Amino acid sequence: MTKEVGLEVDLGPLHLKNPIMPASGTFDVKCTLLNENELNRLGAVVPKSIAFKEREGNPEPRICETDCGLLNAVGVPSRGVEYFLKENLPLLQKANDTIIVSLTGNSIEDFCNLAERLNKIKEISALEINLSCPNLNNGIPFGNNKKKLYELIVDIKKNTSKPIIAKLSPNVSDIKEMALAAEKAGTDIINIANTLLGMAIDVEKQVSRLGNYIGGLSGPAIRPIVIRMIWETAQVVNIPIIGVGGVCCAEDAIEMFLAGASAVQVGSANFSNPYIMLEIITGIKRYLKEKKYNSIQNIIGLIKD
Amino acid sequence: MQKLKNRNSILTKGKIIEQINLNNNYYKIKIEAPQIAKEAKPGQFVMLSKWKIKELFLKRPFSFYNIEPNLGTFDILYKKIGKGTQILTESKISDLVELIGPLGNGFNIPESTRKIAVVARGIGVAPLIPLMLESKKKGIEIYSFLSTQTENLLLHSDKVESISKETFYTTDDGSKGAKGKVTNFLEKILKEIVIDVVYTCGSKRLAKHIRNLQKKYNFLAFVSLEEHMACGIGACKGCVRKTKNGYKRVCKEGPVFPVEEVIFND
Repeated sequence: MTKEVGLEVDLGPLHLKNPIMPASGTFDVKCTLLNENELNRLGAVVPKSIAFKEREGNPEPRICETDCGLLNAVGVPSRGVEYFLKENLPLLQKANDTIIVSLTGNSIEDFCNLAERLNKIKEISALEINLSCPNLNNGIPFGNNKKKLYELIVDIKKNTSKPIIAKLSPNVSDIKEMALAAEKAGTDIINIANTLLGMAIDVEKQVSRLGNYIGGLSGPAIRPIVIRMIWETAQVVNIPIIGVGGVCCAEDAIEMFLAGASAVQVGSANFSNPYIMLEIITGIKRYLKEKKYNSIQNIIGLIKD
Repeated sequence: MQKLKNRNSILTKGKIIEQINLNNNYYKIKIEAPQIAKEAKPGQFVMLSKWKIKELFLKRPFSFYNIEPNLGTFDILYKKIGKGTQILTESKISDLVELIGPLGNGFNIPESTRKIAVVARGIGVAPLIPLMLESKKKGIEIYSFLSTQTENLLLHSDKVESISKETFYTTDDGSKGAKGKVTNFLEKILKEIVIDVVYTCGSKRLAKHIRNLQKKYNFLAFVSLEEHMACGIGACKGCVRKTKNGYKRVCKEGPVFPVEEVIFND
Protein backbone atom coordinates (compact mmCIF):
# COMPACT_ATOMS: atom_id res chain seq x y z
CA MET A 1 0.00 0.00 0.00
CA THR A 2 1.31 3.44 -0.89
CA LYS A 3 1.67 5.89 1.90
CA GLU A 4 -1.07 8.52 2.02
CA VAL A 5 0.26 12.02 1.32
CA GLY A 6 -0.15 14.52 4.15
CA LEU A 7 -2.50 17.44 3.58
CA GLU A 8 -2.35 18.85 7.09
CA VAL A 9 -1.23 22.43 7.48
CA ASP A 10 -0.69 24.76 10.40
CA LEU A 11 -1.69 28.34 9.77
CA GLY A 12 0.00 29.80 12.82
CA PRO A 13 -2.29 28.78 15.69
CA LEU A 14 -4.90 27.29 13.36
CA HIS A 15 -4.48 23.63 12.48
CA LEU A 16 -6.27 22.31 9.38
CA LYS A 17 -6.63 18.67 8.37
CA ASN A 18 -6.37 19.81 4.78
CA PRO A 19 -5.93 23.21 3.13
CA ILE A 20 -9.18 23.45 1.11
CA MET A 21 -12.23 25.37 2.34
CA PRO A 22 -15.04 27.49 0.90
CA ALA A 23 -14.65 31.23 0.50
CA SER A 24 -17.07 33.23 2.58
CA GLY A 25 -20.29 34.00 0.73
CA THR A 26 -20.19 30.93 -1.48
CA PHE A 27 -21.24 28.34 1.07
CA ASP A 28 -24.41 28.09 3.13
CA VAL A 29 -24.74 25.16 5.50
CA LYS A 30 -28.51 25.35 5.06
CA CYS A 31 -28.25 25.17 1.26
CA THR A 32 -25.68 22.60 0.29
CA LEU A 33 -25.71 19.44 -1.79
CA LEU A 34 -22.92 17.97 0.34
CA ASN A 35 -23.80 15.53 3.08
CA GLU A 36 -22.20 15.51 6.53
CA ASN A 37 -19.40 13.11 5.58
CA GLU A 38 -18.52 15.18 2.54
CA LEU A 39 -18.55 18.44 4.50
CA ASN A 40 -16.29 16.86 7.09
CA ARG A 41 -13.70 16.16 4.40
CA LEU A 42 -13.12 19.90 3.94
CA GLY A 43 -10.32 21.67 5.78
CA ALA A 44 -12.83 24.06 7.34
CA VAL A 45 -16.25 25.56 6.77
CA VAL A 46 -16.59 29.31 6.31
CA PRO A 47 -20.12 30.74 6.38
CA LYS A 48 -21.11 34.03 4.77
CA SER A 49 -19.95 37.11 6.68
CA ILE A 50 -22.11 37.93 9.66
CA ALA A 51 -22.99 41.38 10.94
CA PHE A 52 -23.75 42.25 14.56
CA LYS A 53 -27.29 43.32 13.67
CA GLU A 54 -29.56 42.24 10.82
CA ARG A 55 -28.94 43.90 7.45
CA GLU A 56 -30.77 43.23 4.21
CA GLY A 57 -28.14 43.55 1.49
CA ASN A 58 -28.22 45.31 -1.88
CA PRO A 59 -31.09 45.79 -4.32
CA GLU A 60 -31.47 43.44 -7.27
CA PRO A 61 -30.03 42.57 -9.70
CA ARG A 62 -27.18 41.36 -7.52
CA ILE A 63 -25.19 39.19 -9.90
CA CYS A 64 -24.15 38.96 -13.50
CA GLU A 65 -21.77 36.68 -15.31
CA THR A 66 -18.93 38.31 -17.20
CA ASP A 67 -16.23 36.71 -19.35
CA CYS A 68 -14.63 34.02 -17.16
CA GLY A 69 -16.06 35.59 -14.05
CA LEU A 70 -18.93 36.55 -11.85
CA LEU A 71 -19.70 40.10 -10.80
CA ASN A 72 -21.69 40.35 -7.59
CA ALA A 73 -23.14 43.10 -5.48
CA VAL A 74 -24.97 40.96 -2.94
CA GLY A 75 -23.99 43.40 -0.20
CA VAL A 76 -23.54 41.02 2.75
CA PRO A 77 -27.11 40.44 3.90
CA SER A 78 -27.03 38.98 7.42
CA ARG A 79 -29.60 37.90 9.96
CA GLY A 80 -27.30 39.13 12.71
CA VAL A 81 -24.99 37.39 15.16
CA GLU A 82 -27.63 36.00 17.55
CA TYR A 83 -29.56 34.35 14.73
CA PHE A 84 -26.30 32.91 13.44
CA LEU A 85 -25.40 31.41 16.81
CA LYS A 86 -28.85 29.89 17.29
CA GLU A 87 -29.67 28.70 13.78
CA ASN A 88 -26.44 28.16 11.87
CA LEU A 89 -23.72 27.29 14.35
CA PRO A 90 -25.28 23.95 15.43
CA LEU A 91 -25.42 22.88 11.77
CA LEU A 92 -21.87 24.06 11.13
CA GLN A 93 -20.68 21.96 14.07
CA LYS A 94 -22.08 18.87 12.38
CA ALA A 95 -20.48 19.89 9.10
CA ASN A 96 -16.89 20.29 10.24
CA ASP A 97 -14.69 20.52 13.33
CA THR A 98 -13.04 23.70 12.06
CA ILE A 99 -15.38 26.66 11.76
CA ILE A 100 -14.02 29.99 10.55
CA VAL A 101 -16.49 32.82 11.01
CA SER A 102 -16.24 35.80 8.69
CA LEU A 103 -17.17 39.17 10.17
CA THR A 104 -18.49 42.30 8.52
CA GLY A 105 -19.05 45.73 10.00
CA ASN A 106 -19.09 49.40 9.18
CA SER A 107 -17.08 50.61 12.14
CA ILE A 108 -14.35 49.45 14.50
CA GLU A 109 -17.06 49.20 17.15
CA ASP A 110 -19.14 46.80 14.99
CA PHE A 111 -16.18 44.47 14.58
CA CYS A 112 -15.19 44.65 18.24
CA ASN A 113 -18.74 43.85 19.36
CA LEU A 114 -18.76 40.81 17.11
CA ALA A 115 -15.31 39.65 18.19
CA GLU A 116 -16.24 39.95 21.85
CA ARG A 117 -19.56 38.15 21.39
CA LEU A 118 -17.87 35.22 19.61
CA ASN A 119 -14.75 35.03 21.77
CA LYS A 120 -16.14 32.59 24.32
CA ILE A 121 -17.81 30.32 21.77
CA LYS A 122 -15.44 27.42 21.76
CA GLU A 123 -16.77 25.80 18.55
CA ILE A 124 -15.46 28.74 16.51
CA SER A 125 -11.86 28.14 15.45
CA ALA A 126 -10.93 31.52 13.98
CA LEU A 127 -12.36 34.87 12.91
CA GLU A 128 -11.92 36.19 9.38
CA ILE A 129 -12.14 39.96 9.06
CA ASN A 130 -13.80 41.18 5.85
CA LEU A 131 -11.75 44.33 5.24
CA SER A 132 -13.60 45.27 2.06
CA CYS A 133 -16.46 46.72 4.11
CA PRO A 134 -16.63 50.50 3.80
CA ASN A 135 -15.78 52.30 7.00
CA LEU A 136 -18.73 54.45 7.99
CA ASN A 137 -16.41 57.17 9.26
CA ASN A 138 -14.95 58.03 5.89
CA GLY A 139 -16.60 55.65 3.40
CA ILE A 140 -13.25 54.13 2.51
CA PRO A 141 -12.95 50.40 3.10
CA PHE A 142 -10.62 49.42 5.96
CA GLY A 143 -8.69 47.36 3.44
CA ASN A 144 -7.76 50.47 1.45
CA ASN A 145 -6.26 52.45 4.30
CA LYS A 146 -3.34 50.90 6.15
CA LYS A 147 -3.68 53.13 9.19
CA LYS A 148 -7.38 52.27 9.66
CA LEU A 149 -6.66 48.63 8.92
CA TYR A 150 -3.98 48.57 11.61
CA GLU A 151 -6.23 50.26 14.19
CA LEU A 152 -9.08 47.87 13.42
CA ILE A 153 -7.00 44.72 13.86
CA VAL A 154 -5.37 46.00 17.05
CA ASP A 155 -8.78 46.75 18.54
CA ILE A 156 -10.28 43.43 17.44
CA LYS A 157 -7.33 41.60 19.04
CA LYS A 158 -8.17 43.31 22.34
CA ASN A 159 -11.62 41.68 22.22
CA THR A 160 -10.75 38.13 21.29
CA SER A 161 -8.16 35.46 21.84
CA LYS A 162 -9.13 33.59 18.67
CA PRO A 163 -6.83 33.52 15.65
CA ILE A 164 -7.50 36.47 13.35
CA ILE A 165 -7.51 36.18 9.57
CA ALA A 166 -7.30 39.51 7.77
CA LYS A 167 -9.06 39.20 4.41
CA LEU A 168 -7.38 41.88 2.35
CA SER A 169 -8.94 43.91 -0.42
CA PRO A 170 -7.14 43.58 -3.78
CA ASN A 171 -8.31 47.06 -4.75
CA VAL A 172 -5.08 48.72 -3.65
CA SER A 173 -1.94 49.76 -5.45
CA ASP A 174 0.38 47.82 -3.14
CA ILE A 175 -1.01 44.76 -1.37
CA LYS A 176 2.28 44.27 0.51
CA GLU A 177 1.79 47.46 2.50
CA MET A 178 -1.64 46.29 3.64
CA ALA A 179 -0.32 42.85 4.52
CA LEU A 180 2.53 44.34 6.53
CA ALA A 181 0.14 46.65 8.40
CA ALA A 182 -2.06 43.67 9.24
CA GLU A 183 0.94 41.63 10.38
CA LYS A 184 2.24 44.46 12.54
CA ALA A 185 -1.20 44.77 14.17
CA GLY A 186 -1.04 41.15 15.27
CA THR A 187 -2.96 39.38 12.51
CA ASP A 188 -2.32 35.63 12.66
CA ILE A 189 -3.17 34.80 9.04
CA ILE A 190 -3.61 36.82 5.86
CA ASN A 191 -6.26 36.05 3.26
CA ILE A 192 -5.52 37.25 -0.28
CA ALA A 193 -7.92 38.43 -1.51
CA ASN A 194 -11.49 39.62 -1.63
CA THR A 195 -13.19 40.36 -4.99
CA LEU A 196 -11.92 43.02 -7.41
CA LEU A 197 -14.20 45.98 -7.98
CA GLY A 198 -15.90 45.93 -11.34
CA MET A 199 -18.92 47.04 -13.30
CA ALA A 200 -20.94 45.86 -16.29
CA ILE A 201 -23.49 47.62 -18.46
CA ASP A 202 -26.32 46.16 -20.53
CA VAL A 203 -25.78 47.92 -23.86
CA GLU A 204 -29.25 47.07 -25.16
CA LYS A 205 -31.09 48.60 -22.19
CA GLN A 206 -28.23 50.99 -21.42
CA VAL A 207 -28.43 50.30 -17.70
CA SER A 208 -26.03 48.88 -15.13
CA ARG A 209 -26.25 45.13 -14.83
CA LEU A 210 -26.11 45.45 -11.04
CA GLY A 211 -28.56 47.25 -8.78
CA ASN A 212 -25.60 48.63 -6.85
CA TYR A 213 -23.76 49.63 -10.08
CA ILE A 214 -20.40 48.52 -8.70
CA GLY A 215 -19.74 44.94 -7.67
CA GLY A 216 -16.97 42.51 -6.88
CA LEU A 217 -15.46 40.35 -9.61
CA SER A 218 -14.57 36.74 -8.85
CA GLY A 219 -13.83 33.69 -10.96
CA PRO A 220 -11.01 32.54 -13.26
CA ALA A 221 -10.64 36.07 -14.71
CA ILE A 222 -9.01 37.35 -11.51
CA ARG A 223 -6.74 34.41 -10.67
CA PRO A 224 -3.51 35.73 -12.25
CA ILE A 225 -3.90 38.96 -10.27
CA VAL A 226 -4.35 37.05 -7.02
CA ILE A 227 -1.41 34.73 -7.78
CA ARG A 228 0.78 37.81 -8.22
CA MET A 229 -0.45 39.30 -4.95
CA ILE A 230 0.14 36.07 -3.02
CA TRP A 231 3.64 35.77 -4.43
CA GLU A 232 4.51 39.42 -3.69
CA THR A 233 3.16 39.22 -0.15
CA ALA A 234 4.81 35.89 0.64
CA GLN A 235 8.20 37.59 0.11
CA VAL A 236 7.62 40.15 2.83
CA VAL A 237 5.45 38.69 5.61
CA ASN A 238 6.23 36.01 8.17
CA ILE A 239 2.66 34.87 8.72
CA PRO A 240 0.76 32.27 6.65
CA ILE A 241 -1.38 33.20 3.66
CA ILE A 242 -4.72 31.80 2.55
CA GLY A 243 -5.18 32.26 -1.19
CA VAL A 244 -8.56 32.87 -2.79
CA GLY A 245 -9.67 33.98 -6.23
CA GLY A 246 -10.82 32.02 -9.27
CA VAL A 247 -9.74 28.54 -8.21
CA CYS A 248 -11.69 26.04 -10.33
CA CYS A 249 -9.57 22.88 -10.22
CA ALA A 250 -6.64 21.26 -8.40
CA GLU A 251 -4.07 22.86 -10.73
CA ASP A 252 -5.38 26.32 -9.88
CA ALA A 253 -5.09 25.58 -6.16
CA ILE A 254 -1.58 24.13 -6.61
CA GLU A 255 -0.58 27.33 -8.42
CA MET A 256 -1.54 29.24 -5.26
CA PHE A 257 0.49 26.92 -3.02
CA LEU A 258 3.52 27.34 -5.27
CA ALA A 259 3.09 31.12 -5.10
CA GLY A 260 3.20 30.96 -1.31
CA ALA A 261 -0.30 30.22 0.01
CA SER A 262 -0.58 27.70 2.86
CA ALA A 263 -4.28 27.11 2.31
CA VAL A 264 -6.77 27.86 -0.46
CA GLN A 265 -10.40 28.94 -0.45
CA VAL A 266 -12.70 28.04 -3.30
CA GLY A 267 -15.33 30.64 -4.09
CA SER A 268 -17.73 31.11 -6.96
CA ALA A 269 -16.66 27.83 -8.62
CA ASN A 270 -18.78 26.17 -5.91
CA PHE A 271 -21.82 27.61 -7.67
CA SER A 272 -21.10 25.76 -10.91
CA ASN A 273 -20.05 22.54 -9.24
CA PRO A 274 -21.03 22.00 -5.60
CA TYR A 275 -18.56 19.09 -5.35
CA ILE A 276 -15.58 21.01 -6.69
CA MET A 277 -13.78 21.35 -3.34
CA LEU A 278 -13.78 17.57 -2.88
CA GLU A 279 -12.49 17.11 -6.44
CA ILE A 280 -9.72 19.62 -5.73
CA ILE A 281 -8.65 17.77 -2.57
CA THR A 282 -8.41 14.52 -4.56
CA GLY A 283 -6.51 16.29 -7.35
CA ILE A 284 -3.96 17.79 -4.95
CA LYS A 285 -3.25 14.36 -3.45
CA ARG A 286 -2.72 12.94 -6.94
CA TYR A 287 -0.32 15.76 -7.84
CA LEU A 288 1.72 15.31 -4.67
CA LYS A 289 1.97 11.56 -5.25
CA GLU A 290 3.00 11.99 -8.87
CA LYS A 291 5.63 14.53 -7.93
CA LYS A 292 6.73 12.30 -5.04
CA TYR A 293 6.08 14.73 -2.21
CA ASN A 294 4.82 13.34 1.06
CA SER A 295 3.18 16.55 2.26
CA ILE A 296 1.44 19.62 0.92
CA GLN A 297 3.90 21.59 3.03
CA ASN A 298 6.66 20.60 0.61
CA ILE A 299 5.21 22.77 -2.16
CA ILE A 300 4.19 25.92 -0.28
CA GLY A 301 6.13 28.82 -1.82
CA LEU A 302 8.12 26.41 -3.94
CA ILE A 303 8.08 28.46 -7.15
CA LYS A 304 11.53 28.06 -8.68
CA ASP A 305 13.80 30.67 -10.22
CA MET B 1 -32.17 15.52 13.50
CA GLN B 2 -32.02 18.04 10.67
CA LYS B 3 -30.05 16.70 7.75
CA LEU B 4 -27.41 18.87 6.16
CA LYS B 5 -28.62 18.44 2.64
CA ASN B 6 -30.81 20.16 0.08
CA ARG B 7 -33.99 18.08 -0.03
CA ASN B 8 -34.00 15.87 -3.14
CA SER B 9 -31.71 17.98 -5.31
CA ILE B 10 -28.75 16.22 -6.86
CA LEU B 11 -25.88 16.91 -9.25
CA THR B 12 -26.08 14.47 -12.13
CA LYS B 13 -25.45 13.99 -15.84
CA GLY B 14 -28.31 14.07 -18.32
CA LYS B 15 -28.40 12.84 -21.90
CA ILE B 16 -29.95 14.90 -24.68
CA ILE B 17 -32.31 12.64 -26.58
CA GLU B 18 -34.18 15.13 -28.72
CA GLN B 19 -33.79 18.73 -29.85
CA ILE B 20 -36.35 20.58 -31.94
CA ASN B 21 -36.19 24.12 -33.32
CA LEU B 22 -39.79 25.20 -32.77
CA ASN B 23 -39.55 28.50 -34.60
CA ASN B 24 -37.13 31.40 -34.88
CA ASN B 25 -35.09 31.34 -31.69
CA TYR B 26 -37.26 28.94 -29.72
CA TYR B 27 -36.15 25.37 -29.05
CA LYS B 28 -37.36 22.32 -27.20
CA ILE B 29 -34.87 19.86 -25.80
CA LYS B 30 -35.59 16.48 -24.21
CA ILE B 31 -33.20 15.27 -21.55
CA GLU B 32 -32.91 11.84 -20.02
CA ALA B 33 -32.09 12.12 -16.31
CA PRO B 34 -34.25 9.61 -14.42
CA GLN B 35 -33.38 10.71 -10.88
CA ILE B 36 -34.41 14.29 -11.63
CA ALA B 37 -37.47 13.37 -13.74
CA LYS B 38 -38.69 11.17 -10.89
CA GLU B 39 -38.67 14.02 -8.35
CA ALA B 40 -39.53 17.04 -10.51
CA LYS B 41 -42.73 18.99 -9.85
CA PRO B 42 -44.43 21.59 -12.06
CA GLY B 43 -42.90 25.00 -11.43
CA GLN B 44 -39.52 23.65 -10.34
CA PHE B 45 -36.34 24.10 -12.38
CA VAL B 46 -32.88 22.69 -13.09
CA MET B 47 -29.49 24.36 -13.32
CA LEU B 48 -27.85 23.13 -16.53
CA SER B 49 -24.44 23.35 -18.15
CA LYS B 50 -23.17 21.91 -21.38
CA TRP B 51 -19.80 23.59 -21.11
CA LYS B 52 -16.65 23.43 -19.03
CA ILE B 53 -16.36 25.84 -16.14
CA LYS B 54 -13.63 27.88 -17.86
CA GLU B 55 -15.63 28.18 -21.08
CA LEU B 56 -18.73 29.60 -19.44
CA PHE B 57 -18.64 30.06 -15.71
CA LEU B 58 -22.13 29.36 -14.41
CA LYS B 59 -24.93 26.94 -15.04
CA ARG B 60 -28.21 28.33 -16.40
CA PRO B 61 -31.66 27.84 -14.85
CA PHE B 62 -34.43 26.26 -16.95
CA SER B 63 -37.92 25.38 -15.75
CA PHE B 64 -39.49 22.03 -16.51
CA TYR B 65 -41.76 22.17 -19.52
CA ASN B 66 -42.77 18.53 -19.67
CA ILE B 67 -42.03 15.91 -17.04
CA GLU B 68 -42.18 12.17 -17.80
CA PRO B 69 -41.18 10.37 -14.60
CA ASN B 70 -41.92 6.94 -16.08
CA LEU B 71 -39.68 7.54 -19.08
CA GLY B 72 -37.04 9.23 -16.93
CA THR B 73 -37.10 12.35 -19.11
CA PHE B 74 -38.07 15.98 -19.02
CA ASP B 75 -38.29 18.72 -21.64
CA ILE B 76 -37.23 22.31 -21.46
CA LEU B 77 -38.39 25.07 -23.72
CA TYR B 78 -35.85 27.81 -24.27
CA LYS B 79 -35.12 30.87 -26.31
CA LYS B 80 -31.67 31.46 -27.76
CA ILE B 81 -30.57 34.67 -26.08
CA GLY B 82 -26.95 34.34 -24.99
CA LYS B 83 -23.82 32.22 -25.06
CA GLY B 84 -25.26 29.42 -22.92
CA THR B 85 -28.40 28.92 -24.98
CA GLN B 86 -26.31 29.30 -28.18
CA ILE B 87 -24.20 26.32 -27.07
CA LEU B 88 -27.39 24.39 -26.27
CA THR B 89 -28.75 24.93 -29.78
CA GLU B 90 -25.63 23.21 -31.15
CA SER B 91 -26.41 20.04 -29.14
CA LYS B 92 -26.39 16.67 -30.80
CA ILE B 93 -28.37 13.62 -29.78
CA SER B 94 -26.59 11.72 -26.95
CA ASP B 95 -24.61 14.79 -25.86
CA LEU B 96 -24.30 15.03 -22.09
CA VAL B 97 -25.28 17.93 -19.89
CA GLU B 98 -24.58 18.50 -16.21
CA LEU B 99 -27.63 19.18 -14.07
CA ILE B 100 -28.50 20.22 -10.54
CA GLY B 101 -32.11 19.65 -9.65
CA PRO B 102 -34.93 19.58 -9.14
CA LEU B 103 -34.78 23.00 -7.50
CA GLY B 104 -37.14 25.53 -6.00
CA ASN B 105 -40.74 25.28 -4.90
CA GLY B 106 -43.25 24.23 -7.52
CA PHE B 107 -46.76 25.51 -8.06
CA ASN B 108 -49.16 24.94 -5.23
CA ILE B 109 -52.61 23.73 -6.26
CA PRO B 110 -54.78 24.38 -3.19
CA GLU B 111 -57.28 21.72 -2.09
CA SER B 112 -60.81 22.24 -3.40
CA THR B 113 -59.61 24.21 -6.44
CA ARG B 114 -62.21 23.84 -9.20
CA LYS B 115 -61.31 26.41 -11.81
CA ILE B 116 -57.96 27.99 -12.64
CA ALA B 117 -56.69 30.50 -15.15
CA VAL B 118 -53.20 30.52 -16.62
CA VAL B 119 -51.89 33.71 -18.15
CA ALA B 120 -48.66 33.75 -20.14
CA ARG B 121 -46.76 35.78 -22.62
CA GLY B 122 -44.49 34.03 -25.12
CA ILE B 123 -42.19 31.44 -23.63
CA GLY B 124 -43.70 32.14 -20.20
CA VAL B 125 -46.15 29.38 -21.02
CA ALA B 126 -43.43 26.71 -20.60
CA PRO B 127 -43.58 26.09 -16.81
CA LEU B 128 -47.37 26.48 -16.83
CA ILE B 129 -47.99 23.47 -19.08
CA PRO B 130 -46.99 20.80 -16.50
CA LEU B 131 -49.17 22.67 -14.00
CA MET B 132 -52.08 22.53 -16.44
CA LEU B 133 -51.59 18.80 -17.01
CA GLU B 134 -51.53 18.14 -13.28
CA SER B 135 -54.61 20.30 -12.72
CA LYS B 136 -56.44 18.50 -15.53
CA LYS B 137 -55.68 15.15 -13.84
CA LYS B 138 -57.34 16.49 -10.70
CA GLY B 139 -60.45 17.38 -12.67
CA ILE B 140 -59.83 21.13 -12.50
CA GLU B 141 -61.20 23.32 -15.30
CA ILE B 142 -58.54 25.45 -17.02
CA TYR B 143 -58.95 28.78 -18.78
CA SER B 144 -55.87 29.85 -20.73
CA PHE B 145 -54.87 33.33 -21.79
CA LEU B 146 -51.92 33.51 -24.17
CA SER B 147 -50.25 36.62 -25.42
CA THR B 148 -47.44 37.03 -27.92
CA GLN B 149 -46.00 39.43 -30.46
CA THR B 150 -47.34 37.59 -33.47
CA GLU B 151 -49.12 34.34 -34.25
CA ASN B 152 -46.12 32.28 -35.35
CA LEU B 153 -44.42 32.93 -31.98
CA LEU B 154 -47.23 31.15 -30.15
CA LEU B 155 -45.66 28.10 -28.53
CA HIS B 156 -47.57 24.85 -28.26
CA SER B 157 -50.94 26.56 -28.45
CA ASP B 158 -52.46 23.29 -29.76
CA LYS B 159 -51.35 21.57 -26.56
CA VAL B 160 -52.71 24.39 -24.43
CA GLU B 161 -56.02 24.28 -26.30
CA SER B 162 -56.31 20.51 -25.83
CA ILE B 163 -55.90 20.83 -22.06
CA SER B 164 -57.98 23.97 -21.58
CA LYS B 165 -61.71 24.45 -21.42
CA GLU B 166 -61.24 27.73 -23.23
CA THR B 167 -58.19 29.45 -24.70
CA PHE B 168 -57.97 33.17 -25.44
CA TYR B 169 -55.32 34.83 -27.57
CA THR B 170 -53.97 38.29 -27.96
CA THR B 171 -51.19 39.29 -30.33
CA ASP B 172 -49.47 42.66 -30.64
CA ASP B 173 -50.14 42.74 -34.39
CA GLY B 174 -53.61 41.21 -34.26
CA SER B 175 -52.52 38.16 -36.30
CA LYS B 176 -54.25 35.81 -33.87
CA GLY B 177 -57.08 36.68 -31.50
CA ALA B 178 -57.40 40.29 -30.48
CA LYS B 179 -54.93 43.13 -30.10
CA GLY B 180 -54.46 44.62 -26.66
CA LYS B 181 -54.14 43.28 -23.15
CA VAL B 182 -54.64 39.58 -22.53
CA THR B 183 -55.79 40.43 -19.02
CA ASN B 184 -58.86 42.18 -20.53
CA PHE B 185 -60.05 38.71 -21.56
CA LEU B 186 -59.23 37.44 -18.09
CA GLU B 187 -61.37 40.17 -16.57
CA LYS B 188 -64.26 39.27 -18.86
CA ILE B 189 -64.12 35.67 -17.63
CA LEU B 190 -63.71 36.75 -14.00
CA LYS B 191 -66.97 38.70 -14.33
CA GLU B 192 -68.79 35.56 -15.51
CA ILE B 193 -67.37 32.71 -13.46
CA VAL B 194 -65.51 32.07 -10.21
CA ILE B 195 -61.83 31.40 -10.85
CA ASP B 196 -60.12 30.02 -7.72
CA VAL B 197 -56.48 30.49 -8.71
CA VAL B 198 -54.64 32.44 -11.42
CA TYR B 199 -51.10 31.41 -12.39
CA THR B 200 -48.63 33.37 -14.45
CA CYS B 201 -44.95 33.28 -15.31
CA GLY B 202 -42.17 35.63 -16.25
CA SER B 203 -43.76 38.90 -17.26
CA LYS B 204 -43.80 41.58 -14.55
CA ARG B 205 -46.39 43.52 -16.51
CA LEU B 206 -48.82 40.57 -16.57
CA ALA B 207 -48.26 39.91 -12.87
CA LYS B 208 -49.04 43.55 -12.10
CA HIS B 209 -52.28 43.44 -14.09
CA ILE B 210 -53.25 40.23 -12.32
CA ARG B 211 -52.52 41.83 -8.96
CA ASN B 212 -54.91 44.67 -9.82
CA LEU B 213 -57.62 42.24 -10.90
CA GLN B 214 -57.05 40.23 -7.74
CA LYS B 215 -57.95 43.24 -5.60
CA LYS B 216 -61.24 43.56 -7.49
CA TYR B 217 -62.25 39.90 -7.92
CA ASN B 218 -60.56 38.20 -4.98
CA PHE B 219 -58.81 35.03 -6.14
CA LEU B 220 -55.52 33.36 -5.28
CA ALA B 221 -52.72 34.28 -7.67
CA PHE B 222 -49.20 32.95 -8.10
CA VAL B 223 -46.36 34.17 -10.27
CA SER B 224 -43.27 32.21 -11.22
CA LEU B 225 -40.40 34.70 -11.27
CA GLU B 226 -37.26 34.65 -13.37
CA GLU B 227 -33.92 36.03 -12.24
CA HIS B 228 -30.26 35.55 -13.07
CA MET B 229 -28.91 32.83 -10.80
CA ALA B 230 -25.42 31.77 -9.83
CA CYS B 231 -25.94 28.65 -7.72
CA GLY B 232 -29.67 27.85 -7.90
CA ILE B 233 -29.58 26.25 -4.45
CA GLY B 234 -29.86 29.29 -2.19
CA ALA B 235 -26.21 29.69 -1.23
CA CYS B 236 -25.17 32.81 -3.14
CA LYS B 237 -28.11 35.14 -2.28
CA GLY B 238 -27.75 36.53 -5.80
CA CYS B 239 -31.21 35.95 -7.31
CA VAL B 240 -33.33 37.97 -4.90
CA ARG B 241 -36.51 39.92 -5.59
CA LYS B 242 -38.02 42.49 -3.31
CA THR B 243 -41.16 41.29 -1.49
CA LYS B 244 -43.32 42.67 1.28
CA ASN B 245 -41.24 40.55 3.66
CA GLY B 246 -37.85 41.76 2.43
CA TYR B 247 -35.60 40.24 -0.21
CA LYS B 248 -36.43 36.64 -1.09
CA ARG B 249 -34.32 34.25 -3.11
CA VAL B 250 -36.09 33.31 -6.35
CA CYS B 251 -34.29 29.93 -6.36
CA LYS B 252 -35.03 28.97 -2.79
CA GLU B 253 -38.15 30.71 -1.47
CA GLY B 254 -39.49 30.81 -5.06
CA PRO B 255 -39.57 30.73 -7.99
CA VAL B 256 -43.33 30.69 -7.35
CA PHE B 257 -44.61 33.52 -5.15
CA PRO B 258 -48.08 34.78 -4.25
CA VAL B 259 -48.59 37.78 -6.54
CA GLU B 260 -49.51 40.07 -3.64
CA GLU B 261 -46.17 39.44 -1.91
CA VAL B 262 -43.98 40.64 -4.76
CA ILE B 263 -43.11 44.32 -5.08
CA PHE B 264 -43.02 45.36 -8.74
CA ASN B 265 -40.97 48.53 -9.04
CA ASP B 266 -41.33 49.24 -12.71
